[in-house]
Amino acid sequence: MELKDSEILHVARLARLRLTEGELAPVRDDLNRVLEYVEKLNELDLNDVKPTMHVLTQETPLRADVCGESLSVEDALKNGPKVADNMFVVPRIMDGGQENA
Amino acid sequence: MPELWTRSAGELHDLFSQGEVSATAIVKAHLERIRALNEDIRAFLFVDADGALQQARLEDQWSIEERKARPLAGVPVALKDNIVTRSMPTTAGSKILGEFRSPYDATVVDKLVKAGAIIIGKTNLDEFAMGSSTEHSAFGVTRNPWDRERVPGGSSGGSAAAVAARMVPVALGSDTGGSIRQPASYSGIVGFKPTYGRVSRYGLIAFASSLDQIGPMTRTVEDAHRVFEVIEGYDPHDSTSIRDASGSRNTESHPRRVGVPKEYFGDGIDPYVREEVERGLHILRDQGHQLVEISLPHTEYAIAAYYLIAPAEASSNLSRYDGVRYGVRTEARDLLGMYEATRDEGFGDEVKRRILLGTHALSAGYYDEYYLTALKVRTLIRQDFERAFDEVDVIVTPTTPDRAFRFGERSDDPIRMYLGDIYTVTANLAGVPGISLPVGIGDGLPVGLQLLAPAMADGALLALAGELQGALEPMLWPEEAHK
Repeated sequence: MELKDSEILHVARLARLRLTEGELAPVRDDLNRVLEYVEKLNELDLNDVKPTMHVLTQETPLRADVCGESLSVEDALKNGPKVADNMFVVPRIMDGGQENA
Repeated sequence: MPELWTRSAGELHDLFSQGEVSATAIVKAHLERIRALNEDIRAFLFVDADGALQQARLEDQWSIEERKARPLAGVPVALKDNIVTRSMPTTAGSKILGEFRSPYDATVVDKLVKAGAIIIGKTNLDEFAMGSSTEHSAFGVTRNPWDRERVPGGSSGGSAAAVAARMVPVALGSDTGGSIRQPASYSGIVGFKPTYGRVSRYGLIAFASSLDQIGPMTRTVEDAHRVFEVIEGYDPHDSTSIRDASGSRNTESHPRRVGVPKEYFGDGIDPYVREEVERGLHILRDQGHQLVEISLPHTEYAIAAYYLIAPAEASSNLSRYDGVRYGVRTEARDLLGMYEATRDEGFGDEVKRRILLGTHALSAGYYDEYYLTALKVRTLIRQDFERAFDEVDVIVTPTTPDRAFRFGERSDDPIRMYLGDIYTVTANLAGVPGISLPVGIGDGLPVGLQLLAPAMADGALLALAGELQGALEPMLWPEEAHK
């Protein structure tokens, strides 16, 4: 099923991507080519087939609940693009957003 | 004595542990080789000359016993740049990580260092390992040492080119749909993707978590085995790491039953590839192994399933790049705008394409049609292998339908690029181990032969691959072949 521009923009919004007008047309063509190709899977009768989320057959047990080393605050913050008072700083969320110094 | 940079990891380790050469001399020889070639090949994104020399000087203080006890003592190793390191930057081939410095080392890095390996630098890759040519790196292409007008394959193209051009005897790569084996094939080296879960993924930047696996890229199967034994093993930091490898099917029976899937030798295969791989099969037969025609009937659906599952997982994994905790940020008026602006500027086209595809495949109304369908097909592919491995011990195929292609040749057609993964993606979908080894040269370009084995039969797979490599003419390397 072909994706329309409005649907692609909806998906882009979900993915937190902003597609510029120049990007939209090639993305639409590429996505539709891929979606057309994967229609091949409909040739198969999958009614009685269980999905494989993961190939591991072994259990993946939880580790023992013991304290271990963890990252220091300094290490955890050192890659942050904007940091203040031991926190990551982000733009304002409420009131439609505004510059925060 | 031959130049140190021509030696395998095993040879270098022997020379060093017998006290015949110093680790400093080994590292200097490789650094010189990198300096001579990297500007042109562009395999490395970062070379840590000072760090490597410092580590080498440290190792030179070790006693003979200490050297012998460490299987990679004195061996320079390169890392694909999606494996995080404290002492070097990690980019994943993307602009979005900016000046990122990991606060911890990946488990494989810890293990390599403990085994005496000297980490020499980080290699180029398609952005977030999404690609088959290393053309999708934000830092420019890597060139194939066999023909500089051609791609080295991808996504571990930098690692493949570095090993093929003798800049380093060992590199690690990661393989989600063929990203170790395909560039190994295109570059004339050995590339091994272990059973899913054998090697910890802790510190591997996630692309598609149910498919990703780290593995060695080397020039000999013996070296791949040596490195695998160092990096494999249970890791409490990776919940998908296999705790108990004792259930492995490592029957070393001789002769082995070798399955030849008829679907893998059909239309669309490059005649040089067919010829060289068939030559490999004849050698296996001459060694006394039994060739058995088998069928993996759902192979033709593998690419379609893979290109739904991998992007779906990627769209989720890459949601973490939001300009908040690490990497670059593009400022905007509000939070949502900041996310979008950051991701729009930070990600390249192929990554965006896959995030959009994956987001669509997982979105309300399409989940069953795309994602769930793909997971069911994954079951059929797994069952194909289970049935095949009831009959045979190992499966032999070409690694790729073709040889290294020219830059730009496939960039404008994603489907054509994706179809090149047809022989490799099935192993990731089924979780089984696979190795590509150079079987010959077709019209100037290397050809890879792939061996696949049941899950956990990594040891048996490496043994047979080693046996086959031992019977092949020693693989030339680009400069020799072009003389």
